[in-house]
Amino acid sequence: MTTPRTVELVVNGEPRAADAEPRMLLSDFLREKLALTGTHVGCEHGVCGACTVLVDGESVRSCLMLAVQAQGAEVRTIEGLGSADDMHPLQEAFWEKHGLQCGFCTPGMLMSAVELLESNPTAGRDEIREAISSTLCRCTGYQTIVEAVQAAAEKMQGEGQ
Amino acid sequence: MKPPPFDYHCPETLDEALALLAEHGEGAKVLAGGQSLVPMLNLRALHPAVLIDINRLPGLDHVSLEDGRLRIGALARHRAVLESAAVREASPLMAEAYPYVSHGPIRNRGTLCGNLCHNDPASEMPAVVLASDAEMVLQSASGTRSVGAGDFFTGMLSTAARADELLVEVRMPQAPAGQGAGFHEVSPRKGDFAYVAAGATMTLDGGTCSGVRIVCAGVGDGPHRARAAEDALEGAAPGEDAFRQAAEAATEGLDPGEDFHADADYRRDLVCSLTRRALADAASRCH
Amino acid sequence: MTRERHYIPESRQREKPKSKYFAIGHSMKRVEDTRLLTGSGTYADDVSLPNMAHAAVLRSPHAHARIVAIDKSKAEALPGVICVMTGAEAAEVTGPCADFSSPPTPQHCIAVDKVRHVGEAVAAVVAESRYIAEDACELIEVEYDPLPAVVDIEDALTSSGDAVLHPGRGDSNVAMQRTIEFGPVDDDFAQADLVIERRLRWPRSGGTPIETVGATAHYDRGTGKFTIHANTSMYNYVGWLIAVSLKVDPHRLNIVPTDAGGSFGSKLFCHKVCTLAGTLARAAGRPVKYLEDRIDNMTSGDAHGSDRLYDARLALKRDGTMLSMRLKVVDDYGAYFQYGVGQHGNAMAQVTGPYKINSVEVDLTAVLTNKCQQGAYRGFGSEVGNFVIERLVDAACEEFGIDPIEMRRRNLIEQDQFPYIMPTGNMYDSGNYQAVLDEALGMIDIEGWRKKQAAAREQGRYIGIGISTCQERSVFSATEFWMWNPNETPGFTLSSSPESVSVNIDPTGKAFITLNAPFWGNSPETMAVQVLAEKLEMDPADISVGYADSDKGFNSSGPGGSRFTVMIAGAVSGAADVIKEKMLRVASHMLEADPSDLEFRAGSIGVQGVPGKEKTLAEVALHAHYFRLDLPEDHDLTSGIDAAYVYDHPVTTMPSEDRTDLGIFYPIVGHMCHIPVVEVDVETGKIDFLDYVAVHDCGTMVNPMTLAGHVRGGTVNGIGSALYEHFHYDESGQLHNALLSDYLHPTLMETPVDIRVGHVETPSPFTEYGIKGGGEGGRMGAPPAIAAAVEDALKPLGIKVDSLPLTPKVLRGMIREAEANGG
Ligand SMILES: Cc1cc2nc3c(=O)[nH]c(=O)nc-3n(C[C@H](O)[C@H](O)[C@H](O)COP(=O)(O)OP(=O)(O)OC[C@H]3O[C@@H](n4cnc5c(N)ncnc54)[C@H](O)[C@@H]3O)c2cc1C
Ligand code: FES
Ligand code: FES
Repeated sequence: MTTPRTVELVVNGEPRAADAEPRMLLSDFLREKLALTGTHVGCEHGVCGACTVLVDGESVRSCLMLAVQAQGAEVRTIEGLGSADDMHPLQEAFWEKHGLQCGFCTPGMLMSAVELLESNPTAGRDEIREAISSTLCRCTGYQTIVEAVQAAAEKMQGEGQ
Repeated sequence: MKPPPFDYHCPETLDEALALLAEHGEGAKVLAGGQSLVPMLNLRALHPAVLIDINRLPGLDHVSLEDGRLRIGALARHRAVLESAAVREASPLMAEAYPYVSHGPIRNRGTLCGNLCHNDPASEMPAVVLASDAEMVLQSASGTRSVGAGDFFTGMLSTAARADELLVEVRMPQAPAGQGAGFHEVSPRKGDFAYVAAGATMTLDGGTCSGVRIVCAGVGDGPHRARAAEDALEGAAPGEDAFRQAAEAATEGLDPGEDFHADADYRRDLVCSLTRRALADAASRCH
Repeated sequence: MTRERHYIPESRQREKPKSKYFAIGHSMKRVEDTRLLTGSGTYADDVSLPNMAHAAVLRSPHAHARIVAIDKSKAEALPGVICVMTGAEAAEVTGPCADFSSPPTPQHCIAVDKVRHVGEAVAAVVAESRYIAEDACELIEVEYDPLPAVVDIEDALTSSGDAVLHPGRGDSNVAMQRTIEFGPVDDDFAQADLVIERRLRWPRSGGTPIETVGATAHYDRGTGKFTIHANTSMYNYVGWLIAVSLKVDPHRLNIVPTDAGGSFGSKLFCHKVCTLAGTLARAAGRPVKYLEDRIDNMTSGDAHGSDRLYDARLALKRDGTMLSMRLKVVDDYGAYFQYGVGQHGNAMAQVTGPYKINSVEVDLTAVLTNKCQQGAYRGFGSEVGNFVIERLVDAACEEFGIDPIEMRRRNLIEQDQFPYIMPTGNMYDSGNYQAVLDEALGMIDIEGWRKKQAAAREQGRYIGIGISTCQERSVFSATEFWMWNPNETPGFTLSSSPESVSVNIDPTGKAFITLNAPFWGNSPETMAVQVLAEKLEMDPADISVGYADSDKGFNSSGPGGSRFTVMIAGAVSGAADVIKEKMLRVASHMLEADPSDLEFRAGSIGVQGVPGKEKTLAEVALHAHYFRLDLPEDHDLTSGIDAAYVYDHPVTTMPSEDRTDLGIFYPIVGHMCHIPVVEVDVETGKIDFLDYVAVHDCGTMVNPMTLAGHVRGGTVNGIGSALYEHFHYDESGQLHNALLSDYLHPTLMETPVDIRVGHVETPSPFTEYGIKGGGEGGRMGAPPAIAAAVEDALKPLGIKVDSLPLTPKVLRGMIREAEANGG
């Protein structure tokens, strides 16, 4: 059964379906079959974290999951966060605090941060550092990413009240 | 770096899964969290004919403490185990060690059972379950058997599980009341596999160390129990000197292997210092 | 061109530094970011062309071997495979890759006859998907005849026979040996009271950005033209070199730049990947994407950094006055030699550091080994020089018992000595090194740390404080690539490395800037916008930026050598002058005033001294676009407001024939002071950062926020080089850490919680607004400072740090030895 099968799932709130061979990685499925190239691929062995997306609310390495395993799942990617004129507070904070340079790690950073702040809106610096440490960034030295997530957390809490 | 082609099955019941394993045997691989298997597929280090994805099997994601026994099912994710109150209550050592296992997104998918079946010599949990008298419950179409941790880890990336068997559950006796545990690790970076890790448990019985367990990871082809060190400390009064002597005993005759990250001398040094630290922590946490 | 020695051309600066700016100097949010934050960037792998096929490459498992036979029949028979190419087949249609070395070390996009390092391409497959292409690679059978592998840097000095990588260059793996003396070295050494001598080892690391290199090529049979989408940084510069390899005229090759997910030098050229993709696309008759995977990138990305062994000497007077240096250096370039000894040309720009050192002798031996070849990595070889000189200075402090800060104070070049010609002939344009040191010392309580250090030592804990005062030469000019070459075979003696832009004002008065160099993680769009906004006193939100492909692009060298901000400021400023002049001309007709009586006001042009008598830029632009013929007669005034401008290097002179004066080639020189505080766990060899201060002087700051980003990011790269990163080849030439699980980029947890950044601004008298480069950032200064801090921590054990990286194993090994010796 190496033959392709149809994978049906919900991506960023929209039902989507496309065929995939069982071996197709979720990262490739999102990028090639669904044209969601915002999810990046840097290592394909789980280390860099650029490919991190949310599956049923939890961050996962999309390079270490088969697309067929996402059958029926709810997947969220950077494209679902916000647009240039309607940014998610995390996107805004990354912009404000210079939390990105080349932007290649950014999808992974953002999705890890989304998972963190949605499950723990009052996350402090150490929790933020822990969450962010799963993704490599070769450009920023990380500090401004932590500051951005902190700022977003504060802002989101303010809005929540 | 893309996986080679394979057939894929995603059984919905345990019986179905076991039947598939019986049918495909050596050519099949169980896919649990995929956090070790998929990287190996991407690197084409493995070419299984068939993948049997167990992620949709019902009723295997439990982490529970019943009648003094901790039971962790095949689909309990690292994260669930890490966050489990049952684990904190039943196994202070596992609770101490878990934060060293990888990162959030890996823990969200990876399973404890998959981790044990993979048996990476630098992995923390095989050492933890070895120290904890764990039993591995292995099920196949032809029956169920239970293998003690001491017999389960048979060498580099290999275990006593047969190709047609599924590790359905790990069972561990609850740690004795008052037990303290310590776990220390040096890894290249936070969240990486260990260069060396050392774990220790003990209770303080009338002012002396008792039920001492000392285990290490990263010192050979699988988890290592430092029996000589345990013996050196058993019945002794806790204290820096005693811990130091035990830690030194842990290195005696040890051939920890080497790679370019860490040579044998370095690993022995780590066994010594980390064991000492783990013992000191364990003693200080006895209650 | 003959000229007097150490001649300094007159400054061509047109925009003087100002005390108050309109747009420059503001920490403006980046123009680039909205697309990157929403997942709408277009990186190399995001390009998709109709009917596109995918390529994968079969890599050599051997470090050095003859290719005896290749059987590709099984691979070709696999369904979904479009074509399979061997090196021999590729070489029939495609020539060797571009190469600056002299004589060349021919490298093919697929190896021909012989493989020279693990990971070198042996065959390539084009298939319907990357998955199938990789399946097919597994079916290709290659017979190799292994040759001796040369791995050790010193062994390479003496290898011969079968161990020679490029027998065409002679029976040796020494690619170049040259000794050059700058100034009276013998005399200066004769005067010395003390000569510090150390053997220092700088390890092979690499930029290794998270995005690898990729190209999607299309060959149009109808026109005979290639279109290649790629993440190369110098696409307007290397295009014609790639065309030469592909054997088409340069105008038959168009490179479309993509966003690049980091480079740090490693994507300067990317010519091999472009050449490979082009070759395969032509053969397949379909567009082909080839994207390096991580192993391809690490084993064969042509971008490993410097790998050097130094025997270094520093001559001093008893009072600590530094006199002269002698550097004997062997550099392991790997299997090919794409930039020649460009890395050493570069290092000559600041080889004596920020110190008043009168002379220097450099004895350079470049060797070839069976490893991936060197490319550029943040510093391009000059960061190694910083490490070497700072290690010597610290050793001298130890010897004399002089405090490292005091030692530097005594020897730093003084403010009134600029422009300063250093011994090799390069110029340091300006600086205030004492001020940088003062600023850094003001940010950290050294005394307090010394007390904590003493208290910690009482408890058996080891805290150390390090300091480095280093140069960041910026704005390279191209002579560094060939100045070391013999006069008989000088190679490609280019002298210019310009940068250019075009600016178009639309009918509503808003601006569009077209860059000729790509986005690679720096902030080219933000820099261009801030400078144009400054010049035209325009709202930055009214300016947007795009990238020309090489068909429409012109004179550009792209980012590299910390040049881009300076060069783009020059180009934008020049273009803006043309724009301004034209706007003034149009406005003068509209306002019926003489152009010389007009002034730019925020968003408009008005008559000086007459408030209210003005036209908005939008009105002027609209008029210029559509109502030209309403205006009075004005010879050669045409419709529209557009400008294209080429900015040449601000100040370059040529090397002398005998090379005892290398001329001015890297003259815009920044300075930095790094002070880390570390704690070493002597039992485990692990290092923790307790504090970190970095002060940089990059002249006038265009955007302090993005500059701080380079300082911090570069510092973490430097932490990687100092403590974690090292391409580990074993004796047989196998690379053991081609994966990111083993090649250890620092994660957040390995970095200081707060890298405290300070700035000093000493404007350059040679560049527009006095801007200097800052792109290489902290990697220039962190490694020596960290080495010093670790050495300081372990002073009670008498440990000397002579090589990097200080991995836990290495450090613990030194400590173990010291303990055994009763340390
Ligand atoms: C970046 C990264 C960092 C990591 N860091 C660490 C670390 O610090 N420490 C550490 O210990 N691990 C680490 N890991 C590995 C991780 O813990 C894996 O999750 C774990 O080793 C395997 O569990 P899994 O469920 O993902 O198993 P899989 O990858 O699905 O399977 C692993 C192997 O076990 C077999 N298998 C799985 N489940 C069963 C079962 N129930 N019965 C029989 N066979 C089975 C599979 O066939 C396969 O051979 C890391 C992984 C990554 C990608
Ligand atoms: S691409 Fe998935 S972790 Fe790197
Ligand atoms: S911004 Fe470039 S890798 Fe993080």
